[in-house]
Amino acid sequence: MKQTLFSATLDNGITLLGEDLPDLESAAVAIHVPAGAVHDGPGRCGLATLSGELCLRGAGERDSRRIVEDLENAGVQWAHSVSATHASFSGAMVARRLPDALPIFADIVRRPRLPPDEFEAARDMVLQGLAGTEDDPAHRTMLALRQIHFPAPWGMPAEGLAAEVERLSCTDVRRFCSTHLLPAGSIIAVAGRIDWPDFVARCTRLFGDWRGDPPPPIAPGPRGPHSRHVPHDAQQTHVAIAWSQPPYRDDTSHEATAALGILGGGSSSRLFTEVRERRGLCYTVSAGYQTHRDFAIAVCYAGTTAARAQETLDVILAEIERLPGTISAEELDRIKARAKSALVMQQESSAARAGSLGRQWYHLGEMRTLAEELARYDRLTVAAVEDWLAAQPAKDLSVVSLGHEALEVPRGVSA
Amino acid sequence: MAFLRERLDNGLEVIAETSAHAVSTSVGFFVNTGSRDETDLLWGTSHFLEHMIFKGTESVSGDEINRRFDAMGASANAYTAEEDTVYYATVLPDRQADAVDLIARMMRPALREEDFSTEKLVILEEIRMYDDQPPFGADDQCRAAFFGDHPLARSVLGTVESITALPVEAMRDYHHRRYAPGTMVLAATGAVDFPALVADARRLCGGWESLPDTARLRPDAPDRAARPGTARIVRPSATLEYGVRMSPGPSERHADRFAAKLLAAVLGDSSGSRLYWALVDSGAAEQATLHHHEFLDAGLFVTQLSCDADAIDAQFERILEIYRDAATRGIAGPEFDQARNKLASRVVLAGERPRRRLFEVGGEWAHARTYRTVAETLGIVESLTRDDVQQVLERWRLDESASVVLAGPAGG
Repeated sequence: MKQTLFSATLDNGITLLGEDLPDLESAAVAIHVPAGAVHDGPGRCGLATLSGELCLRGAGERDSRRIVEDLENAGVQWAHSVSATHASFSGAMVARRLPDALPIFADIVRRPRLPPDEFEAARDMVLQGLAGTEDDPAHRTMLALRQIHFPAPWGMPAEGLAAEVERLSCTDVRRFCSTHLLPAGSIIAVAGRIDWPDFVARCTRLFGDWRGDPPPPIAPGPRGPHSRHVPHDAQQTHVAIAWSQPPYRDDTSHEATAALGILGGGSSSRLFTEVRERRGLCYTVSAGYQTHRDFAIAVCYAGTTAARAQETLDVILAEIERLPGTISAEELDRIKARAKSALVMQQESSAARAGSLGRQWYHLGEMRTLAEELARYDRLTVAAVEDWLAAQPAKDLSVVSLGHEALEVPRGVSA
Repeated sequence: MAFLRERLDNGLEVIAETSAHAVSTSVGFFVNTGSRDETDLLWGTSHFLEHMIFKGTESVSGDEINRRFDAMGASANAYTAEEDTVYYATVLPDRQADAVDLIARMMRPALREEDFSTEKLVILEEIRMYDDQPPFGADDQCRAAFFGDHPLARSVLGTVESITALPVEAMRDYHHRRYAPGTMVLAATGAVDFPALVADARRLCGGWESLPDTARLRPDAPDRAARPGTARIVRPSATLEYGVRMSPGPSERHADRFAAKLLAAVLGDSSGSRLYWALVDSGAAEQATLHHHEFLDAGLFVTQLSCDADAIDAQFERILEIYRDAATRGIAGPEFDQARNKLASRVVLAGERPRRRLFEVGGEWAHARTYRTVAETLGIVESLTRDDVQQVLERWRLDESASVVLAGPAGG
């Protein structure tokens, strides 16, 4: 498949990435600034998220309303998010409106007004989101799992902790933005019906004279306990299990994700078949892969009636243990087919491609073509996946339950 | 883009919107059946049956269905709503025949008793899962209050009691009656080989027995809330209070339907709307949105609010003030333009993806036998005027005749 990929680096360290998809009407752009939640600092969990929110409340010549009005009048479907590593601002639009959107995004990351009179509202908005999270049992389960498994501060919730957000001040936000909203390490990815030279020229004008040194890297701290029960009054109990995996940039990450796909990545996977189809234990059960640049995890999740939660956990653990030595060629072929479809179909979405380009650059320092990515899957063999599983058995599992009663985690599962 | 259509002798409609540039093919069966076609004894059957369709036919096991979809790299799933049950698969174009073959065979399931018993457990888990989540049943209860005795009052999932009591024979009979070729559409979008689609449909579905009378239950839908007023669901462990408010709106056959969506975008879109600025941007509410939801012969404006429990009454009053203000003073030119630009962009971007087009094209054809290109839909949105929106505001008073259900720790 023919692909037209571009990249360029500005003097200040910003990477520009692009993919031309001339059959689309749309273009999507995503700006990732390395001002993520790992930089929150002790006792300030949620600072990056609150800072990202306040950046939208006035930037450059525009006040809060004008930013939204100008984006939406240009038909920009915009979004912003803060992850552990980045503050991201993105938009998808009819391609000819890209020149309207870029200056707005440039103002947001370079010239946020951070107005003190909007601070309380921004903080209340973040707190409302956190209160909503309290009512989402599956999300809370995953947050607790990441918190115990990842080394601090990588496991802390990017959306914040209410008690710490309440203590944040506008001064905290201003200081954070001045020391973290910086060009070095930033990525601007665009995909769709684009004019690359024009895009580079516009980005050079808008971002080229942005200056500042990157913040020091964050050293990983200690991790949490290996299991945790979160009391929660509801009909269902939620169970999540994690263990370490190679990060995406590791040469063996495709072996790892293939093994996980066989375990719980589709409706013909082991977990779906054994937990849901055979036993009817739950509606939702899956296994997935979550990666940071330097470490990654496998995650299994299920939600089920309290009385059947122990059996659900036991069946999941048995399937994890049964996986090595039992993978069939058909199972691996299905993983390859699913991966190929998903990769090819990304070409129909400018937003999906812009997102993918940015992620690849952050994790790999390069953009892989679809052909390269597909070739990596094609090269996988049952023997290679089995060898990898034999060398990297699932161990030191972290287990979280959320519900009325704690579940019994067998000895030997957790350290 | 081209629109193609064929009708088999037994009444099954086969349609496609083909797109030269698409890299995927989406196919789906749109069945004109849902919770509004159920009786009290069959409550939840449409959705339960949707699950059972994946448990296999006489010759293909449920495991094999799952394996075959995964082996063709399909993104396949199904959903059930009040008026529709939809099965779909998106594949790379060279797998069109495989996807059509499998999904068409699935429409004639075995409905084995053993599978029925196991899957019943899964359905019960799904009911409990949603009941544990915001808005804690407030949406279903609100629809029940709005529609009263009308079958649109029924929730899609059914209840623990109705599902537990359902016998497999009742589902088999329901399937026989409701999955007749005359109530189904086979639709495809993206890179579609239409002659092959029709040939496959003839081979796989041509033998399906047509039934003389498959008309659905169509009692008059209420044009006002059957049970107006506020009801409360108590969930002591909830953190926020969740509110759902339903008031009458245009149906999908009403000329006001597009203007209604524009009005909802002006007043209650998730960003840049009046509710957004007044309640969400200020940090007073976690969520405050207005949507227009349409059925064959009824329509709803649905307001969803979540905020601190002790503030919910005041926030709803604030929302009503916003609705009253819009009704009396109309909407301003700039906010109208902004919402129209936003909707137009959504139409174009959604139109790029065959999967999204499948739901649009298949759904419209299944309900109304109408087809619109993306450009035609865009033309409708772009031709909307402030007068159109004003008419909606006057005809469907947002501040009147509503059912409201609150769920959360407050409990009145």
